[in-house]
Amino acid sequence: MRSLKNHLSLIIPLFAILFAAEFYFVIEKILKNYEVYLSRDYSIVVVSQKSLTLEELKAYEPSILKIEELDSERIIERLKKSGIELNYSELKNFMPKFYKIYLESFPDEESLRKIKGTLLEIEGISRVETFTKTHEKIFHFLSFLKNISKFFLLIIFVTSVMLVFKQIEIWNLEHSERMYIMALFGAPLWMRTAILVKLSVIDTFISTLLVYFAYLYLLNSNYLKNLLGTEEIIVTSEDIFSDSFWLFILGLTISLFNVFIVSMREPKQPV
Amino acid sequence: MNSKNVIVVKDLLLSYKKGVPIIRDTSFTVKSGSFVFITGPSGSGKSTLLKSFYGELKPQAGFLQIGGVSLNDIKPAKLAFLRKYLGIIFQDYKLIKEWTVKKNVMLPLLIAGYSKEVCEAQTKKLLKHVRLTGKEDYYPLELSGGEQQRVAMARALAHNPVIILADEPTGNLDEYSSRVIWSLLESANEQLGTTIVVVTHSIPTNLKVPFKHHYIEDGRVYEIA
Ligand SMILES: Nc1ncnc2c1ncn2[C@@H]1O[C@H](COP(=O)(O)OP(=O)(O)O)[C@@H](O)[C@H]1O
Ligand SMILES: [Mg+2]
Repeated sequence: MRSLKNHLSLIIPLFAILFAAEFYFVIEKILKNYEVYLSRDYSIVVVSQKSLTLEELKAYEPSILKIEELDSERIIERLKKSGIELNYSELKNFMPKFYKIYLESFPDEESLRKIKGTLLEIEGISRVETFTKTHEKIFHFLSFLKNISKFFLLIIFVTSVMLVFKQIEIWNLEHSERMYIMALFGAPLWMRTAILVKLSVIDTFISTLLVYFAYLYLLNSNYLKNLLGTEEIIVTSEDIFSDSFWLFILGLTISLFNVFIVSMREPKQPV
Repeated sequence: MNSKNVIVVKDLLLSYKKGVPIIRDTSFTVKSGSFVFITGPSGSGKSTLLKSFYGELKPQAGFLQIGGVSLNDIKPAKLAFLRKYLGIIFQDYKLIKEWTVKKNVMLPLLIAGYSKEVCEAQTKKLLKHVRLTGKEDYYPLELSGGEQQRVAMARALAHNPVIILADEPTGNLDEYSSRVIWSLLESANEQLGTTIVVVTHSIPTNLKVPFKHHYIEDGRVYEIA
């Protein structure tokens, strides 16, 4: 029982560190996927008195991916249906052209404002409509989470590393008699600390495994899919698996570094 | 390790607290292959002197050399190296309680980096010498005090050390275990030429090998015979 508690007091802080790190990785990956997804979907509508070409627009704004002219017949159809009384045949003659403009990546508000300004300066363009959708709100929410997670990551990291250090110190005390006796017979440092290293490797492995399964569970639950409204942007279990490798390395680095610090002290006779 | 004087002590000062000397103004040498007893009243500094020999306590002043290695400002790596040539026996055995008898005896062999086969064979032989055949897989706390000290004896002999340092090895042992310990120390000295330094409060009367006797009083070491 005592040894289980001993393991848990290393596994839990390591789990916290690795969970936080993976949280950051996952959010970043989702954000990247989401950006691609949104930019595919997102367009600006431009009203212009003269025809526009992609080359012409690109000269002003390189981030434009493609433009699509909206059929004016369809616009008139819609207006007719809405029941507005107009001379539609005349309207057709001086009606401006409507374009949908797609961008290479999903813009943030700042660059969107700039793009809007740039487009309005182009001769012939009279109106630029940028639409905000729920997608953007989610995108901003995720960006916000990412920034917050940076902050939490730091706090979790510092406190957990301290806990890891404490636990390894406890182990060191527990095994100090053994390590002292080994030292009396001339055992080198690596031999004396082999037990601490072994415990660290085992516990780091267990922590990594727990984090892996925790994220697997989160990804397979419908919560994230419902929140983001689509499945294609969510990170895959393969992503989590390959991250786990790095998480293991990260956890091992932290715990072995602590073993190193703890065991650098001279072996003293335990009291 | 082939110097004639395997232990050289010169104007040695040992203390735990500054200004409170335990051993002072002490000079003597121990010749390679000799058998030396150190006696003295309780608290006179016998264990302290022995501690300085295996590098647990650094000399405050004077000069201390074991097997040609100066212990005055010894670095950890060098000390580890020196300790591979020592076999130490303590009054409280100092066995690793999480390890079996077999693994305890094997410790110096593992440190020396012998192969598994050599370790196994040597351990088997040693446990026979200390009359513990059949108790290989016991843990120290499952043995009597005398048996534990015989395990410690086997461990101290395992790597054929140049010097054996023993601190009251038979201090509170039964008759039989004491006899086994003394006869093994004797034969190591006689047959292998191992230098033996034993702290004790009573020198056994039926010893067959020649020995020297140092007596500690008031922090000084006197040579008696
Ligand atoms: N670790 C220690 N710290 C401080 N004083 C010690 C320590 N070990 C022993 N002493 C003191 O040194 C003196 C000699 O102790 P020791 O060498 O153990 O005597 P003994 O001759 O009985 O083996 C004693 O007065 C003891 O109190
Ligand atoms: Mg003593």
